[in-house]
Amino acid sequence: MEERRKQNGRRTFLKAGGILAASGALGSIWALVAGGTLGRSTRKRPRWIRVADRPTLGEKTVDYKRFSGNDMFALYRPLKTQRDGAGAFEAEQASKAKRLAGWIGERKPGYSLPDVQLSEAAWTVMHSATPGTGLLSWTRISVRTPAELGSQRYTASPEETAKTVKAAARLYGAGLVGIAPMNENYINLQAPRQDEKQKDKEIVFDDVDVPEASDTRFVIPRKMKWVVAIAIPMDLDLLSSTPTSLGDAATAMGYSHSAFVVASLAEFIRGLGYQAIPCVNDTAQSVPFAVDAGIGELGRLNKLVTPEFGPAVRLCKVLTDLPMACDKPIDFGLVEFCKGCKKCAEACPSRALSFDDEPSFKTKGPWNNPGHKAWFEDSYKCLQHWQKVNSGCGICLASCPYSKGDQAWIHEAVKATASIAPASDGVFRVMDDAFGYGKQHDPEQWWTKNSTPSRRG
Amino acid sequence: MAKDGDVFTITMRKRPWWFWGLAGAWLLLEVVLIQTALASVREGESRAATISWIAAGVLAGCGGIAWLHKARPHNLGASSEQH
Repeated sequence: MEERRKQNGRRTFLKAGGILAASGALGSIWALVAGGTLGRSTRKRPRWIRVADRPTLGEKTVDYKRFSGNDMFALYRPLKTQRDGAGAFEAEQASKAKRLAGWIGERKPGYSLPDVQLSEAAWTVMHSATPGTGLLSWTRISVRTPAELGSQRYTASPEETAKTVKAAARLYGAGLVGIAPMNENYINLQAPRQDEKQKDKEIVFDDVDVPEASDTRFVIPRKMKWVVAIAIPMDLDLLSSTPTSLGDAATAMGYSHSAFVVASLAEFIRGLGYQAIPCVNDTAQSVPFAVDAGIGELGRLNKLVTPEFGPAVRLCKVLTDLPMACDKPIDFGLVEFCKGCKKCAEACPSRALSFDDEPSFKTKGPWNNPGHKAWFEDSYKCLQHWQKVNSGCGICLASCPYSKGDQAWIHEAVKATASIAPASDGVFRVMDDAFGYGKQHDPEQWWTKNSTPSRRG
Repeated sequence: MAKDGDVFTITMRKRPWWFWGLAGAWLLLEVVLIQTALASVREGESRAATISWIAAGVLAGCGGIAWLHKARPHNLGASSEQH
């Protein structure tokens, strides 16, 4: 009797273990099937990314109009002066410079001389890319025209052309690329000033053949009806050490890389016999174009979140008159995930991100473009924190559960499950914390790892 | 020590089909856990790597115990009496 009871106990134990193993195995198979390994090799996106008829977030009202172009970087100085009095901005900058010198001297992790200069040097390409000139020239730089090669300009079906342009963009370094139709409301009203002495340059549309970039204004030909939206993955290794000067190098690299990609792609399109305007952050709002092009969804941090790289991307775009088949927005369950997660908002040291359960039309300041639904952020608080840490921040980007390396199959399985079963979102958020993701990495270890960029895609 | 003339009967029984199913599931789970652990090391996620290694280790131990347990004759329903 006793022996039989023991055997029954063992059987129950084995059965329970068996069920557990079977469940785990099913999850493992899901990881392999749903995982991006197949998608990555063929450049197709995983099946759990659904095509949507319209963006999942960003619903617009009639109030949605062209943005002034004055983002927080343009607004910070006048706002600081307005809030804290005359000279407050200058005093803050002086104290910031003094603090940085002290940190470099004491070799504060993430702020040693090599850390600071790694970031400074990574900006080199971007700093020499002024809208309308140099790399970001609105007209042909050096590529030969089809006529110079004794050829007609390129003609193919819109679908074939889109494939060709996407392949070229990937070669130049795009992690994700999509085509969106031109929406004039996404084009800024004016270009950012390069210095205080310059006047604002207005951006206008006109029935011209060639884009114009003069000292007083930028003219976009009305025939430019297509936008190539591009996401450049940031180096997660570097980004994980934010907020430090070292971590800022991930942002700097993203921008410099963006300038290279859009400059090369614009020249490629011009070489096919068409017009192209390369833009990084300038000229137009990158996020709505990227959403329309199906690169990602608008997330809680009021930035684009891609299924593959999370929000750890830099966006850029090329406006063109080369006819291409447009992509559609996507839905991978992000908005539902963001409603419950709030990890970016909790991680934000300046409390600049929204904790609201639902997105709304209520903006937080003049840096937000009204007339669309979003989780709006307080960019002033964000930039104030940048002054304190003497660098860009990026904690929200690094802490997002979608910002993961692509090496572990299980990450793909989790993203796939969250996409089709929002009920599991809460569990994944708890697991993300339990596994220690989103925590700052030791900046000093970056150098010892002698890491190659963890760029994926 | 066996003597000349001793006769032994060795009964070999096939493990049931579901056992191999479970073994396959166990192996797959092990592979995924180890892959996660190795990937986490490469990605510098030390806590995730530690948890994955521990989980893989515990699962390996459980698998070993289950295998040995099933290998015992009475658990296979085998007769082990000596003639």
